[in-house]
Amino acid sequence: MKAIHYINQFFAGIGGEEMADQTPVFHDKLIGCSMMLNAMCKPDIEVTNTIVCGDNYITNHTEEALKEIFAFLDTKEFGIFFAGPAFMAGRYGVGCGIICKAVSERYHVPVITSMNEENPGVEEYKAAAYIFKGGRKATFMKQDVTPMAAFAKKIAKGEKLLPAAQEGYFPRGIRMEIPQPDGIMAADRVIDMLLKKINGEPFQTELIIPSMEKIPPAAPVKDLSKATIALVSSSGVVPVDNPDRIQSASAQKWGKYNIADRDNLPEGVYKTIHAGFDPAAMCAVPDRGIPLDAMRYFEKQGKIGKVYDWFYVTVGTGTTQAFAAKFGKEIAKELHDAGVDAVILTST
Amino acid sequence: MGKEIERTGIPVTVMCNLIDVAKTVGSNRMVQTVSVPYPLGDPELSPEAEWQLRTSRVEAALNALATPVEEPTVFPSKF
Amino acid sequence: MRLEIGAFHVKDIVFGDKTAYNAGVLTVNKEELLKVVKEDEHITTADFRIVHPGDNTILCPVKEAVEMRCKVSGGHGIFPGVLSEMEVAGSGRTHCLQDCSLIVVGEHAGGFQDGVIAMGGEYQHHTIYGDMVNLVLVADTDEDFERHEQQKKNHALRWAGMRLAEYIGQCVKDLEPENIEVYDLPSIYERSEEVNKLPRVVYVLQPQTQMEAMGYNTLIYGWDGNHILPTFMHPNELLDGCMVSGSFMPTSSKISTYEFATNPMIKKLYEQHGKTINFLGVIMSTLNVKMDEKVRCVKMAGQIATSLGAQAAVVAEEGYGNPDVDYTAMLVELERLGIKTVGLSDECTGRDGASQPLVSMNPATNALVTTGNVSQLYEFPAGMEVIGELEALARDGNSGGWEGCIRPDGSFIMENNGMFCANMISGYSRRTCADF
Repeated sequence: MKAIHYINQFFAGIGGEEMADQTPVFHDKLIGCSMMLNAMCKPDIEVTNTIVCGDNYITNHTEEALKEIFAFLDTKEFGIFFAGPAFMAGRYGVGCGIICKAVSERYHVPVITSMNEENPGVEEYKAAAYIFKGGRKATFMKQDVTPMAAFAKKIAKGEKLLPAAQEGYFPRGIRMEIPQPDGIMAADRVIDMLLKKINGEPFQTELIIPSMEKIPPAAPVKDLSKATIALVSSSGVVPVDNPDRIQSASAQKWGKYNIADRDNLPEGVYKTIHAGFDPAAMCAVPDRGIPLDAMRYFEKQGKIGKVYDWFYVTVGTGTTQAFAAKFGKEIAKELHDAGVDAVILTST
Repeated sequence: MGKEIERTGIPVTVMCNLIDVAKTVGSNRMVQTVSVPYPLGDPELSPEAEWQLRTSRVEAALNALATPVEEPTVFPSKF
Repeated sequence: MRLEIGAFHVKDIVFGDKTAYNAGVLTVNKEELLKVVKEDEHITTADFRIVHPGDNTILCPVKEAVEMRCKVSGGHGIFPGVLSEMEVAGSGRTHCLQDCSLIVVGEHAGGFQDGVIAMGGEYQHHTIYGDMVNLVLVADTDEDFERHEQQKKNHALRWAGMRLAEYIGQCVKDLEPENIEVYDLPSIYERSEEVNKLPRVVYVLQPQTQMEAMGYNTLIYGWDGNHILPTFMHPNELLDGCMVSGSFMPTSSKISTYEFATNPMIKKLYEQHGKTINFLGVIMSTLNVKMDEKVRCVKMAGQIATSLGAQAAVVAEEGYGNPDVDYTAMLVELERLGIKTVGLSDECTGRDGASQPLVSMNPATNALVTTGNVSQLYEFPAGMEVIGELEALARDGNSGGWEGCIRPDGSFIMENNGMFCANMISGYSRRTCADF
């Protein structure tokens, strides 16, 4: 298997801060730490090229940098992509993250890098690449390159990959089932955790519940009677023929449907495609999922200014957070551009 | 989804069954719905009672949009 | 309350002239058993098979698994309130054919809640039944009203399983057990000073009771669990057959009737009783659909725990998805009341592992044991013998199968969701989840 390695201007020996605007340079002969990486990867993987790019260039002119690098990579054959190690260097870490994410999306190959836990690149790109836990500075070079190479060799040989904690990379937000490493029965694990918790001893939960990200509440609508309010929903209520073919579970898209001429959502014209519950009640009265009839009532009463002419919908069940966030961003942009003042979001 | 919309400054009232979930994903204005299969209705009720239920919950959601909040807040409805 | 479980360790099951147990071998007479099955005229065809660990065999669609037992003293039947008169289970002597089970398989039709068991191959150890010898009833019924329904009550087949378990269990009624397990837990006011000094622990069970139509939910003494409010029970009642598994919920998250009666979590709490903890007993709670019902049950269970003086609790959830709300809410409420909790459930992280593991999450739940990912994909090779009808996995709306999941060569791919009771919420699980 062949691999290509990305490093910054400093580790290529071009220079430091003053050379951080360096545009991409492509080497057919390995330079800098690529040589050490290649030596460790042998004989399973051959590192064929070193790509060098200035940290400022890739972070400030990302589009141009990627265009140039893609033009080079398009001509190359490779099964693995490396970047770094970036240690504590913040812009280098972000640069490694940018290139790893882009290469993974375009070429669908495993992308491997290494950063110190305090490098801001970790938080931003840990879901997009295997980021190995690295040292604080370049004196850790050998120590940090070693697990990158070892992991790549496992991939090249088709060996079973272990959980993040054992391999030594930052968890990518993926949880999978595994045999309990010690083969201990769940009931015994409960007893062990229970006794430790009762006795105030340290214990390790098997599922860490993260603290939530808080969004500051948006300011309220000043005058409801002048406001345009949009209906958004994850209830899966769509026109009966489901024109956008939204999936019944694990939805990967959303739809928007014009309701300017409607006072309600009649049975037989709309239905729910949500697979997470018995759909009979919502199909009989789709307004039970998206309450257009009630909104029209308040519109006629003058309580609200206007119901926005389109409603937005997807299916909530099994949808990953990444997709939910993507839908939210896309819909938010449309609503914002249309001057919508507020949103009622109905979910199931 | 609601979080991304609110991020742009548009207030959102989330009407859902699982208030606890809505809180975990960072919703700020919430109204409780009836159940998962029929969030804003109830096939067991008379049409009049169901209408009252639906308008009452939607009205609570609308009022929530016009109310300042500082933290995740559940707005009660009459029915 | 004192219960003696008289154990008979079954090493093999064989067909023979007389249903009898001798020195580790259970002999069953097929004709006799067929008569028991056919007591229900809704059962149209029936046959028996015996499967062993390591057989290159798949059972599908599996409806139920039961331990074969008989009541020797202290009661009249192994399923009080269901097959025999209502009386409180958990006292006297019950004889059990251990290390084996009776499994009920549909000859053709499966459904959302039915499952797959592998007796050999990569997935043998994904169910406890892959590691024991099993007597398998394969049968069909005339329950045409639900033949094409995704959700099936499976009434005739599940009840046939219970009748068979009781019938076969009778063969050890008059025999001397190989060993006797004693479960003796007095009233919480009649415990020794040493025991009273230990931290007081309750086991809070949330069985699957979310179906609003009757006939699908977990039964407690034959009563549909959807109709109960949280109640305090003696652990012996569970170990002696007060619970019958339901026919609802993706099967991997279900607790079979076998597991309800052999519940390893209860046995482990018993083991610790008097040594490290004072095991108060069981709070039987519920899982609900409506939010007000969820809140009501959680609050009432919390009150019972408080009144009992519980200082710690184990909470187990039979299900995933929407019921995670009840599960997390129960843990959060108990923590709020100052009761230290450990949770036991599975996760749903999606086929790609990227989804939120529980529908409802709260940082107050800081001690969770996880028994697997219900949506993990499992790849089966071609060439395994099938008892039942594998096509049921793809055709009948199984929670772990889908149209096209079985390939023309007979190999297939499925989600863990469809592996029979594979997440072992009772506590048997030797699987977990990890971050990748």
